[in-house]
Amino acid sequence: MPMRRPGPVVSTFALLALLCAPSVSAGAPGSTRFIEALGEKTIAAITRENVSDEARFEEFGRLFRESFDIDTISRFVLGRHWRRATGEQRKEYRSLFADFIVRTYAGRFRQYSGETLTVDEEREVNERDTIVSSRINTLDGPSIRVDWRVRTKGGDHKIVDIIVEGVSTVITQREEFASMIRRGGGSIESLIAELRERVRPAE
Amino acid sequence: MTSTGTFAIRTAGAALAAGVVLTACAIPPADDAEARAELAAINDPLEPFNRAMFEFNRAVDRVLLEPVARAYRGVVPDFGRTMVTNFLNNLKSPMILANDLLQGEKDRAGETGGRFMANTIVGLGGLFEVTGIEFHDEDLGQTLAVWGIDEGPYLVLPLLGPSSVRDTAGLAGQTLADPVSRYARDAEHAAVPWIHSGMEAIDARSRNIETLDEIERGAIDFYATVRSLYRQRREDEIRNGRPPRSAPIPEIPWDEDEESETDRASSVVK
Repeated sequence: MPMRRPGPVVSTFALLALLCAPSVSAGAPGSTRFIEALGEKTIAAITRENVSDEARFEEFGRLFRESFDIDTISRFVLGRHWRRATGEQRKEYRSLFADFIVRTYAGRFRQYSGETLTVDEEREVNERDTIVSSRINTLDGPSIRVDWRVRTKGGDHKIVDIIVEGVSTVITQREEFASMIRRGGGSIESLIAELRERVRPAE
Repeated sequence: MTSTGTFAIRTAGAALAAGVVLTACAIPPADDAEARAELAAINDPLEPFNRAMFEFNRAVDRVLLEPVARAYRGVVPDFGRTMVTNFLNNLKSPMILANDLLQGEKDRAGETGGRFMANTIVGLGGLFEVTGIEFHDEDLGQTLAVWGIDEGPYLVLPLLGPSSVRDTAGLAGQTLADPVSRYARDAEHAAVPWIHSGMEAIDARSRNIETLDEIERGAIDFYATVRSLYRQRREDEIRNGRPPRSAPIPEIPWDEDEESETDRASSVVK
């Protein structure tokens, strides 16, 4: 569409795939180190040779599930509708949502073409969350600002949001899901049906 | 991005007029306080009209803009397209400089001014980027925001895409002041603004083919996705990429039991 605004920027919306390794400062704080290590693992997974696409997808899914706090994200994204959902609905929504985002993010995998990641700084949001600011250096064109919101829970780090050029993935998804539910007459079933459709195997 | 001469203003006027007529279609449900708060945060009273416009723009994109952008990318080599981008950015620079100054951003104004001089003189009218200073955009809508003017309801403009009442006003003002369209008016070259806008559209679209495809593929409700992207992107541009001062970072709840307390707060944040 003829949008005058969203530049190359938004594209990267979900580009776990573009993580890379450099610039580990001595004694880098936990969250920074976590993001850098994840970058190394991701790049290794993408660039491994003699592996089928399915194996890559599986490896990506595994990394994704262990690095992202998918439960928290899924609840946040559903917002006020989470509280009204029945136990059954919550369970189905949760599992569908996990598959849905793994699928969505994995698509970006194939577009990896040697970008690198530089971590600039980290700052605290509150006692449990830290934002790790980074830049994705593209091969042509300007670099892309990516902030990783990392939650620390008992020494364990998990990503709860990726903010690309100021655009938060979870806020976008939350507004989108709310819109879907509203248009479906206020029922979470409409969203669940749509997610079911999206994650159906084989296309 | 501006510069369709009076066209932008006329279409914006038409959009507003049509939107007002259609407002009646989107009455919020009065029974649920949370639902009302949500609708207020989305601030899209013209949604039925905006969705129609959004679909219209997508149709134009499918049959015209995207194919042209693909062909452009296929035919013109990388360096040629980079020169076009440089040239278009350079043409925008006087307006960017004006907005930098109106916002009191002296350093950024210096960057814009320096880039413009060097690229125009040494870079052959802006075809070459010779300074190494990173390009940044500014527009009147952002300046109005810095001055404290609220964005107002979301709007989807015909052909021009996502906007808001404030940004539409900014676009109109900027179009009137734009040196390119002023020149065209004085010299009676009616085609110039059209060619300029066309080039802007093709240049921007050709750099975003995969991006937009990807966003659309991952979207559950594409209209709502674009609306959210536009708003958040604008907020970020208005702050010039700096972290938000008053922390409109959403509180993301921790455990299920504390959710009911924090969720209410975070949904207000937008």
